[in-house]
Amino acid sequence: MADIHWIDALYQVYLSAFVSLFIVLLLSSWIGGERLGPWRTSLVLRDGPDVVGVAVALAILVGLRSGARGGPLAIEPADARHVLLAPVDRALALRSPALRQLRFAAFVAVVVGAVGGQLAVRRLGDQPVLWVLSGAAFALVTLGLAYGAALIAGGRRVPILVANIVGVALLAWAVADAADVGYVHYSPTGLVGTIPFWPLEFEPLALIPAVLAVVFVLIGITGLGGISLESAERRTRLVGQLKFAATLQDLRTVMVLRRQLAMELPRTKPWIRQHGPGRLPVWHRGVRGVLRWPAARVVRLIGFGVVAGICLRGVANGTIPLVLVAGLALYLAALDGVESMAQEADHPGRSEGIPRPIGDLLVRHLGVGALVMTLVALVGAVVGVAMKPSLGALGIAAIAVPPAALAAAGGAALSVLQGIQEPSASWDLIPPEVAGMRSAFRIAGPPVLAVIGCLPVVLAHAALQNEGDPFGAATTGAVIALVFTGLAAGWIHQREQIKAWFHDLQDQAGTAPGASSRPVTATDGGATTRPRPTRKPTPTKVTTSLPRKR
Amino acid sequence: MTADRALLQTTELSKRYGDVDALAPLDLTVRAGERVVLVGHNGSGKSTLLRMVAGLLEPSDGEIRIGGAPSGSLEARAITSFLPDEPVLYDDLSVREHVDYIGRLHGTDGYGDEEADIAERLGIAHRIDDLPARFSRGLRQKTALLLGLTRPFDLLIVDEPFVGLDLAGKAALVELLEERHQAGATLVVATHDAEYADRVDRCIALRDGEVTFDGPAHKADIAKLVSV
Repeated sequence: MADIHWIDALYQVYLSAFVSLFIVLLLSSWIGGERLGPWRTSLVLRDGPDVVGVAVALAILVGLRSGARGGPLAIEPADARHVLLAPVDRALALRSPALRQLRFAAFVAVVVGAVGGQLAVRRLGDQPVLWVLSGAAFALVTLGLAYGAALIAGGRRVPILVANIVGVALLAWAVADAADVGYVHYSPTGLVGTIPFWPLEFEPLALIPAVLAVVFVLIGITGLGGISLESAERRTRLVGQLKFAATLQDLRTVMVLRRQLAMELPRTKPWIRQHGPGRLPVWHRGVRGVLRWPAARVVRLIGFGVVAGICLRGVANGTIPLVLVAGLALYLAALDGVESMAQEADHPGRSEGIPRPIGDLLVRHLGVGALVMTLVALVGAVVGVAMKPSLGALGIAAIAVPPAALAAAGGAALSVLQGIQEPSASWDLIPPEVAGMRSAFRIAGPPVLAVIGCLPVVLAHAALQNEGDPFGAATTGAVIALVFTGLAAGWIHQREQIKAWFHDLQDQAGTAPGASSRPVTATDGGATTRPRPTRKPTPTKVTTSLPRKR
Repeated sequence: MTADRALLQTTELSKRYGDVDALAPLDLTVRAGERVVLVGHNGSGKSTLLRMVAGLLEPSDGEIRIGGAPSGSLEARAITSFLPDEPVLYDDLSVREHVDYIGRLHGTDGYGDEEADIAERLGIAHRIDDLPARFSRGLRQKTALLLGLTRPFDLLIVDEPFVGLDLAGKAALVELLEERHQAGATLVVATHDAEYADRVDRCIALRDGEVTFDGPAHKADIAKLVSV
């Protein structure tokens, strides 16, 4: 198995530098520069390890799931076919790529951990070398545990169900420990969480997970020969495409590939069988799709609803930033919710053959997405209210559900319809700052719309703080969210006409790509009539079954 | 090689994709030296069966033994050559380098006279130093055939070998398969080609994952067996 290509190496260095810079900037703005006093330092020492332990548990969960799905290695297809089918020791053949991957991951972990340690010095201590070293050590141990877990799960063919149970149990333990729920203490990952705080207090027991990390990696590497070729081949086929789609910010393709990676296939037999085409064909088509969802997707959406509910309860209790997590959870759920619309966008050739405006068709697809998201938001509302039941909470939840559901569905619809960013001569002429804003809006706009959908809870909390009317404030928030959602729906309905108008403007300015060569189909009295702007040719993409419109 | 020995044996072998049965429980024995053709309509389970035998797919249930060893084990891999319907090749190796590399993984000396002869007969000798990444579908198929035929094996599993081949290539392949059989190899070939099916000893037909015919090839009505 060949060594890494220098282009790949440069790309990885570029990515790690980019991620490191992002982390440094993010943490710097959060941490600030003020040195903590003894009391606050003791609080950090008491709660910090448990909170950090949650991140460690999450990393292990990700590792276990990756391993159970044929990871963490992504072997070249020809290697999977020729080397792994040859009568050679598979563990030996896979050792080199595994060590190479581990080496690179360790490099990134050390950099990120050391940067984290350096940032912690500003507020927590005055021994920079110790903080940097302990930060790097923590990152290495976390990596060892997560990567080792992935290798073991992959090599021992741990079923995904077992991987999920073990990973989620660890995560739940860590969360319960961090939240001081009941008598749950001493989560194993909380012990790992003490490592970055060693300069304040050395915890010798944390050496146990450090040793375990090494043992995990060693066991994992020696057991690599047991890897499932079926999972490895599927992963190999999809991981490269996933990275490419992610690079192009093509969220829809990323989703579809992720489903293929997880073997998340629609059910052959629907949960409930529907008969006849019905009077509302688009609605029925969407409902039929939902009724074929696999159980994993249903559970995932319920999970997103629960997360959103917990976070919005946190917002109501005063932790406002949790609204971002709630909005993001609803947005991710909605990406599944608008599946029927996404299928339409995946195959524009089909919808173009239908004798009705494409915008009209797409907006009709929003109906089922809105229904699904209403159910998800209701799950969130039940969880949020159940955490601290009151009539007031029930009232706010009732006001908050419709805008949260509709805004999330609208945001997800914008995401799946925008596809990959279209290179355009006219955009080449504008300043990079404006082009950057455009890109940022494309990426952040849809999830921000979902966050706006959670505005009623934020405004209700603010009103309560100022002794105002929480129901009035929540209603105002709902109206604002619904106006934004309406604008999104309007955009979806009119986007073809808006694009046509924009292309005409470009033509008049002579900046449209290929403007001079655009076909002229008819002339009438000296005036030229242009055809309706057709979609650009389907881009050559790595996916096998997703002709996308740009 | 003892002719009566079971070289390939499946017991209660089945495969499910989600809630779809790709292959119903299958008990199958192929004796050493047999020539078997596997027929069936698209989606009947032929490729699934062959890929499981090759060790590329995990059975949902049951087991496969090749020469007494479990499929996918080191011993089974040493005696099984799999030619998939879709060639999988390295982008950065020429045909000769492919033969060298894969041959050495199987303990041969790489590209030599015998390999050159097979390349000549398949009509790929003039492109031996070219990169298959730039080949047409047919030439890539010939490259994959060259790789599959130049390594040592007792059991040759071939999935749709004639797709994409020109007439000369097809004739050469039929001849090469015949020679390998004469040399003692066991052949299991999945194909829609009725002409080739007439040449073999045994025909197994699959329909929707279940065996609908297993008997002498000359008694099989291939056109009927592969119809949906």
